[in-house]
Amino acid sequence: MRTIRLYVRLLGAHLRSLLEYESDFWIMMVGTVIMQVVNVVFLAAIFAKVPHINGWSFWAVVAMFALVAIAEGVGSLFFEGMWNLAWQINQGDLDYMMVRPYPIVLQVSSMQIGVNGISNIVTGGLMLGFAIAHLGIDWTVGRIAGGVIVLLSAIAVKVAINLATNSVSFWMQSPSPLFAFAVHQVGDLARFPLSIYPLALKAALGFALPFAFVSFFPVTFVLDTGDAWVGLLTPVVAAYCLAVAWFIFSRGLRRYESAGN
Amino acid sequence: MALVEARQLTKVFRRPDKDPGMRGAVKHLFVRRFVDKTAVDHVDLSIDAGEAVAYVGPNGAGKSTTVKLLSGILQPTSGEVRIDGLSPQKDRIAVSHRIGVLFGQRTQLWWDLPVSESLAVLRDVYGIDHGTYRRRMARFEEVLELGEVLPVLGRKLSLGQRMRADLAAALLHAPPVVYLDEPTIGLDLAVKDRVRQFFRTVRDEGTTVMLTSHDLGDIEGFCRRLVIIDEGRIIFDGDLEAVKDAFARERILNVQTETVVPLEAARAALPGAAIEAGETPLHLGVRFDRFTMTAGHVVSALAPLANLVDFNVDEPSIEDVIRRVYSGELVLQP
Ligand SMILES: Nc1ncnc2c1ncn2[C@@H]1O[C@H](COP(=O)(O)OP(=O)(O)OP(=O)(O)O)[C@@H](O)[C@H]1O
Ligand SMILES: [Mg+2]
Repeated sequence: MRTIRLYVRLLGAHLRSLLEYESDFWIMMVGTVIMQVVNVVFLAAIFAKVPHINGWSFWAVVAMFALVAIAEGVGSLFFEGMWNLAWQINQGDLDYMMVRPYPIVLQVSSMQIGVNGISNIVTGGLMLGFAIAHLGIDWTVGRIAGGVIVLLSAIAVKVAINLATNSVSFWMQSPSPLFAFAVHQVGDLARFPLSIYPLALKAALGFALPFAFVSFFPVTFVLDTGDAWVGLLTPVVAAYCLAVAWFIFSRGLRRYESAGN
Repeated sequence: MALVEARQLTKVFRRPDKDPGMRGAVKHLFVRRFVDKTAVDHVDLSIDAGEAVAYVGPNGAGKSTTVKLLSGILQPTSGEVRIDGLSPQKDRIAVSHRIGVLFGQRTQLWWDLPVSESLAVLRDVYGIDHGTYRRRMARFEEVLELGEVLPVLGRKLSLGQRMRADLAAALLHAPPVVYLDEPTIGLDLAVKDRVRQFFRTVRDEGTTVMLTSHDLGDIEGFCRRLVIIDEGRIIFDGDLEAVKDAFARERILNVQTETVVPLEAARAALPGAAIEAGETPLHLGVRFDRFTMTAGHVVSALAPLANLVDFNVDEPSIEDVIRRVYSGELVLQP
């Protein structure tokens, strides 16, 4: 509990200084909203030509888009600092964090707030709401509870992948997280149903970099279509991803060499 | 057991051996060559509670690396560290409550927060209650004149303001052990005086201090123990005053004569002293041991050789002693 309270404290400290640059704040918010709207318009254009993609309706795909947006939004709103890890390693900026009584990984991830996360979460939430309204899901108590758990797990998968890929910077000399950026781009593929991809890509998104558990499998679970049961594995995959990410980070930390002057 | 203990502590950095430029970088991708640099070499060090230790050495000697090993920032290549019996690498959280670290070259303040807010965040990180916090802040305000600094954003601090704020940050949780790595670097004389004053109050409260500095003014009158490191190895560990007594016993008498005195003639007149040529042929430097010879003796021995126009005596400070140790001219035996 104290760990979480302190996390909010560390993150919140940056909020005030962020709000000092009010115009930047609004530009970022509007920019992100526009990007999401463009995504949906693009999707609608595709579905204007074909009624289904591989058996998936427009609204089902919107739900997948929505989950990717929400997961990304949570990642930038609460854990944006991870993206600075490469720079901090390069500059030796972890030194002081290592002598403070708080988990280093949380000190790193709370170093920055990505305000555009707010608009990603809001637009993603709206998209998800509309999608659910149109999909005519048969909501039972079990499905609601399962849906919430699967949603939280999906977000955890995305955050864990961010951490794991950024932690690779401990083995690199580069001051920017090139590897994590590349993987992040791959994650965009998960906006579309996994079933449209060739086998190799399916395996990649299902196992190696399990982005399919950020969007596709959680949606199949809630819709109870296809291999819905795989969606139920999302919490397990999330736990696994977090464990792997933590392992890579701790291993990397042992390699940390600070910086000479 | 001592409060701070290092046994056979060693750190080897492995650096990629790249040719400069793009070509070198690409070549390195295929042919990986590395050079090893032993920054800290089998260091044994043990510091008791309440000691104030000066840790000095030339640039690149391994001082900062030692501090990073002693605080758990770096993993030793071999050897081990114990702080109050705990390993800073393995019991990181427990040790972090016991140590305070200041690197004069870099700040731990948040660049986008006012100093007051940075310190408040650290208060919460260390779990310091508000009453204790207020009391400590009051003391910092008194000795470090922190009041004027508190509302300033981290990135807008002047060097002197930054260092005072960073000192407060490093000592906020009243750690029993403090490492200060070049805490006066770049400060003007007035601020230097103030922070030196502050160090003394910290020491007098019983805090164990390890201080690294190139400004020996920081250590004189503050540290009783002197440790000298060179190329990663400890070459001296002993009493600062004893070093001064032993090596500051040497005096140099600079004389100016009316007519040229040949060096050989002066040497013949003063066996037991070292004679050096001065800046002109009319100047001589006579180096002698104050326990075996007096300045008066030197003057009267030289008087028959020529008329003396002027003379003065240099008393070497600890700074000269250490400079001569760095240059290899003087070997200290602990
Ligand atoms: N992170 C690092 N990676 C590689 N080499 C390093 C690193 N840090 C220090 N070194 C090397 O180790 C040696 C010791 O460095 P260190 O910073 O400990 O010296 P120092 O005694 O603190 O010197 P200074 O008085 O200049 O601060 C130097 O040769 C330095 O180049
Ligand atoms: Mg140094």
